Amino acid sequence: MNDLAGKNTIISSLRDVFKVREAPIFIYVIVMIAVFSSTIDGFFSMKNFEIISRQITTIGIVSVGMTLVILSGGFDLSVGAILSFAINIGGQGIVFGWPIWIVYPFMLALGIILGWINGFLITRLAVPALIITLGTMNIYRGITMVITKGVYITPIPSVYSFIGRGYIPFLFYAAVLGIFTFATLKTRFGRNIFAIGGAEESALYSGVPVRRYKTIVYIISGFLSALSGLILVGKSGFVQPQAGLGYELNAIAAVVIGGTSIFGGSGSVLGTFLGSVMLGIILAGLTMLAVNPYWQGLITGVLIVFAITLDSLRYLKR
Amino acid sequence: MRIVRSGQLKIIFILTGVNILIMAALTYLSPTFMTYGNITAVMTRMSELGMLAIAETIVLIGGGFDISIGAVMALSGAVLGTLHVMGVPFYLSIIIALAAGIAVGLLNAVLVVNLRLTPFIVTLATMAIVRSVVYALLKGNVLTELPEAFLNLYYVYVFKLPLLFVILVATAVIMAIMLKKTILGRRIFAIGGNEKTAYVSGVYVKRIRYFVYCLSGFICALAGLLFTVRIRAVIPDAGLNAPLEVITAVLIGGTTIYGGKGSILGSLLGILAMYLLLNGFSLLGLNPFWEVIILGVILIVVIGQEGIIKSFRAPFVRTRA
Repeated sequence: MNDLAGKNTIISSLRDVFKVREAPIFIYVIVMIAVFSSTIDGFFSMKNFEIISRQITTIGIVSVGMTLVILSGGFDLSVGAILSFAINIGGQGIVFGWPIWIVYPFMLALGIILGWINGFLITRLAVPALIITLGTMNIYRGITMVITKGVYITPIPSVYSFIGRGYIPFLFYAAVLGIFTFATLKTRFGRNIFAIGGAEESALYSGVPVRRYKTIVYIISGFLSALSGLILVGKSGFVQPQAGLGYELNAIAAVVIGGTSIFGGSGSVLGTFLGSVMLGIILAGLTMLAVNPYWQGLITGVLIVFAITLDSLRYLKR
Repeated sequence: MRIVRSGQLKIIFILTGVNILIMAALTYLSPTFMTYGNITAVMTRMSELGMLAIAETIVLIGGGFDISIGAVMALSGAVLGTLHVMGVPFYLSIIIALAAGIAVGLLNAVLVVNLRLTPFIVTLATMAIVRSVVYALLKGNVLTELPEAFLNLYYVYVFKLPLLFVILVATAVIMAIMLKKTILGRRIFAIGGNEKTAYVSGVYVKRIRYFVYCLSGFICALAGLLFTVRIRAVIPDAGLNAPLEVITAVLIGGTTIYGGKGSILGSLLGILAMYLLLNGFSLLGLNPFWEVIILGVILIVVIGQEGIIKSFRAPFVRTRA
């Protein structure tokens, strides 16, 4: 992963990309596109790709946060709940008539705070992140339901839908991808995340401030969930208490399909992007083939099992 | 006869005390709490989650993890309802519904045992798969066409206790005896405590794991039948919140997620405390969503209590997903 030589970084990182993890998934994506384009009329069109790009952004952004969490050896089941909390509680600001430049930072701040709570609990208690985030997921969702009483916030001013128009969501997604690809591959932050996920104790004894980095990872995950919420509000034009339901499953699916190891320590943001694209293409293709949407869970589940089997085989080989 | 291990006794005593306290408080706060009708209502309501808690306890003791429990519960109801509508004889539909639960358990077991995948992710995936099968079977609808004789089991009372509750207690007793008094049960504890030691001591680890996941699937399917009787319908969203509720209750009851420790009695006391609280909320007219908030807080406090003390002393706390 890290390249001590310092020279030929571009070439070696290119080699990293095509040698191990992302190559197969990249090929699958190409094959998928080819298969669907040849069997479905109108699949290979700008219109359809715009639809797919819009569909994958919200879960895609959440998945980037999930990638960092899983890379650091953790887990975050509360992403969907944070998204819902941020837009619903932050959305009360819309009800009060606050201006957009206060509401947006407020929503993002809520995401950061909830992420920090996750990180704080996980690093202070000797308990698996899984159980903590199972708990916080329900606390956040419960608070959202108690405060909103299950009521939608609609209509909302049209300025909020600017962020959800056309390719704008995808631009946000691309920016998030760019930032975190760079952060994981080229910064000390990224190296330390990989180190913690690979061997937490070794990282600690090598002087990595493990707690601080793990907390930061959950904060990033919370922030990205809230950002994804803003875009979701922009796309849908209302704020819904049940927003983000099941996002955790789809995000985990995108991450593991993208080749990130659930044991932590290896994987990439780029892989997760390809995983999200793959899920998006499959779902779009099946929708166009008029397959009942109830089967989506089945497909996601089977893909997860398939991906972790590959991961486990890789793990056993080592 | 020793029903629980000495290490568990403390937790059982505390939980019994907590339950008595809640009951005392509710009796004081609400005149309708200590009535025969309300008490039997709580008993009936806790029956299906109690069954799920038994299943989860056994899996956790064996060092596994199962969050597909709620989905399996929904599946057995959905299979039962769908087959009945198709005109399959009812006793046969029940058998197939139970078999469907065992089949999901078998699938979990194959993935966990033979492919050596992490139980949590495996059951997360099978949960999604099973839930989507449920939605597809029911097409997202609620199904109420069921034989009256089956639904009227709700009104059957044994010694003035609802039949559903009696089934729960009977299952709990059988499973507790299985865990504590049979070689099979001791081996489940052994595997959960230390898989390698159990393996070199001659325990067929794989077979026992298969048994544990299939048993869990079977009990969850049975829970689905109880649930169908209780609400007199088959609904696709059955058990949607079950993973949180059941895992919280089971962990409160002294079972650990690391395996090798736990008791069914503790889990049931945990479920009872939860339902008494829920019942209290509805009697006192509080928003039912407080339930999930309180459950989440209890989960974190219960599981983190040792960690809180440790973390302020130790420079390093090991956490793993």
